[in-house]
Amino acid sequence: MKNGSTILLIAATCMMLGIFTHFNMDKRNETIANANPSLVKETEKQNQKENKTAKESQKLSEFKVLDNKLRKAVEIIKKEHMEAGIIPAKLMIPKINVKANIERVGVLENGQMGVPSNIENTGWFEPGTKPGAQGNAVIDGHVDSKTGPAVFFDLKDLKPGDEILLSDQKGKTITFIVKKLKSYPNDKAPLKEIFGPASTRNLNLITCTGVFNHTKGTHEERLVVYTELKEKTAHSPKKQQNAKRPISPDHVSVEGTFVSWHAVRDKDIVGYRVYKGKKNKPFKHVASISAYERKTYTDQEAEKYSYYVTSITKQGMESKPSSIIHPEKQP
Amino acid sequence: MKMKKVLAPVLGLSLLFPSMASAADNAPAVKTPAADLRAGLDHLLSEHFALSVIEMEKRYEGAQDADAAKKALDQNAADMKPAIASIYGADAAQQFNDIFAPHNDYTDDYVKAVKAKDMDAKKEAEMKIDRFAKDFGMFLGKATGGKLPEDAAVKAVQAHEDDVQKAFDSYAAGDYKQSNQAFRDGFHRMFDISKALSTAIVSQSPDKFENSKADTAAADLRSTLNSLTSEHFALAAMSMQKGVDGAKDYDFVNWAEDQHTADFTAAIKGIYGAEGASQFEKVWQGDHINAQGDLVSATLEKDENAMNEAKDRLTSQFATDFGNFLAAATENNLPTKDAMGAVKMHEDQVIQTFEQYVNDDYDMSYQTFREGFKFTFGIGETLGGAIVKQMPDKFAGQGMPDMPKTGMGGSEASTDTLVWVSIGALAAAGLSLILRKRLSRQQ
Repeated sequence: MKNGSTILLIAATCMMLGIFTHFNMDKRNETIANANPSLVKETEKQNQKENKTAKESQKLSEFKVLDNKLRKAVEIIKKEHMEAGIIPAKLMIPKINVKANIERVGVLENGQMGVPSNIENTGWFEPGTKPGAQGNAVIDGHVDSKTGPAVFFDLKDLKPGDEILLSDQKGKTITFIVKKLKSYPNDKAPLKEIFGPASTRNLNLITCTGVFNHTKGTHEERLVVYTELKEKTAHSPKKQQNAKRPISPDHVSVEGTFVSWHAVRDKDIVGYRVYKGKKNKPFKHVASISAYERKTYTDQEAEKYSYYVTSITKQGMESKPSSIIHPEKQP
Repeated sequence: MKMKKVLAPVLGLSLLFPSMASAADNAPAVKTPAADLRAGLDHLLSEHFALSVIEMEKRYEGAQDADAAKKALDQNAADMKPAIASIYGADAAQQFNDIFAPHNDYTDDYVKAVKAKDMDAKKEAEMKIDRFAKDFGMFLGKATGGKLPEDAAVKAVQAHEDDVQKAFDSYAAGDYKQSNQAFRDGFHRMFDISKALSTAIVSQSPDKFENSKADTAAADLRSTLNSLTSEHFALAAMSMQKGVDGAKDYDFVNWAEDQHTADFTAAIKGIYGAEGASQFEKVWQGDHINAQGDLVSATLEKDENAMNEAKDRLTSQFATDFGNFLAAATENNLPTKDAMGAVKMHEDQVIQTFEQYVNDDYDMSYQTFREGFKFTFGIGETLGGAIVKQMPDKFAGQGMPDMPKTGMGGSEASTDTLVWVSIGALAAAGLSLILRKRLSRQQ
């Protein structure tokens, strides 16, 4: 596996573009984008745009599936996920009288999420999930300009239960319900929660909040409004079944430089994610192993860390973490 | 190349070897007629066990290579006959063959009965296996003139048959962890049986073995290394086949492989300390065990480049790194070039066994398996020899002459008594000694 560095995302959505933490992911598997099938597909598209060889972009797919039947199933599910979403053109938030056009934004060279070109528009993070599809779609907007309020100035006044409406060019409209509002210091935003994979269909709105720091040229905090798609039909049994979480891998152990586990015997499993952590630090996704491979992750310093492993179905559902293995505590 | 000669496995058709050491040479040695006998039995018995279990699993799955596996198992039995003849003569060898050869069919029958859920046929096969254990135990007892008592011999053979059955039964029941544990235990037991049997044969006719002993510390070391390297080969071949077949128990064979790595690491620790062990483990896993897995994945992906990359890691990177490690550890008592050559040869055999299997060339695959398995015993001898040469003090004692008779009968603990204790403990109780324990005894 090549150590291609994928710089990824986060939003600086204020008029004054602030320095915002970006993640420099060393391995393909460490990106949170890769954790999301639809994100992977988008990333692949982008790579092709950048004239990368097909081979390289293929490598970005998290799990390889050898079985033809299963591979087709995975593709159909990915497609369903893609089709489920819309390409948003307009945003309406009746509660705070917002009606705005939506631009498509990507990742800036410095790794930040792009921002809309003016203070009236909002920006949909195009490399990510489509609104309405499973996962976290993200839209950002400015809170203010040097001279006054901007499109998301009143975003902070939203309450759980308020509605957000998105429509595409043809007028197809979908509705999201506000679940919660959260502010984070600039560099402390939980990227995975905002951009990463999810079992529900979410839309997250981002803008600036807090005190404006003149030295840094940005607001001190970012406000995230978490919303979830308002389902028109009640959960159909089929959908629920699709969304069932797989069983967690067991027999996770560390022998020397090997972190190993046993396969989950479920034909829907396409692979496993290995997470690595250290005392008081959050676990990080370090590797994705396809179902047919040796269930081993090699780490020269395996005994110094803790690990857990999850299993992933063709639907993209991730199991609960396996029990955490602490090799340093092993006898 | 000189290398090949050095490592050429000593196990021809005879288990009796002329001694290379002069009578006056009392330095501890892994290569004595008695130690050669033991290594020869190590090889034939452990190969019998590995092929038995493999054959039964293949037969149960209705695998295309089941017949090739059976053929290899029968060839192993056929190789035992001249070995027995070299010690006990042609008549005894024939008698041995009449008892031993058919029992490979009983296990085959057992599998068929389990598969067909035919309880009567299963019972009949079990009875035949049980009868075999008794007959063969009695044969061994008689052949060794009671040096290996009939009772102990029957119990040892029964314990072995139980291992085979447990490995297979739990496999058929889908309990792959238990199956692989039973495989490991049963494989190790063959080396315990070999020790007891070779010690008995040697004490029966010490002259034939130039008064060398099968249970010296050096012979123990050689046998331990034989066990570690041959088990590795068997597990590697099994794991790679299971991987490319997408078999349900792939992870469990890999689990056994990782357990084996832990045992090997412990053995190295016993000889070279914790740091040497940690170095060993890193080299052993990285471009070796892991590369094997990558070769399997690349084969499934039909990715030629990745396949070649994985093979290169095995035959070039690992051969270099591990060759260097062994040469450094033994302070060049095993020269770098020889070590690298041996490791490369071994990896070539692993890859070839796998590739022939993938290409449906099953007869060739099992032939290569047999060659590759046998080759590891040459590694055990050469590496063991280097280690003993490097630290003769650790292996001294039993290469010394017997104490002179300076008393009038007060001292009863003769070597023979010790041998008896050893056989009793190993065979009668059916103790399966863990390698770690063996090694610590050698320290």
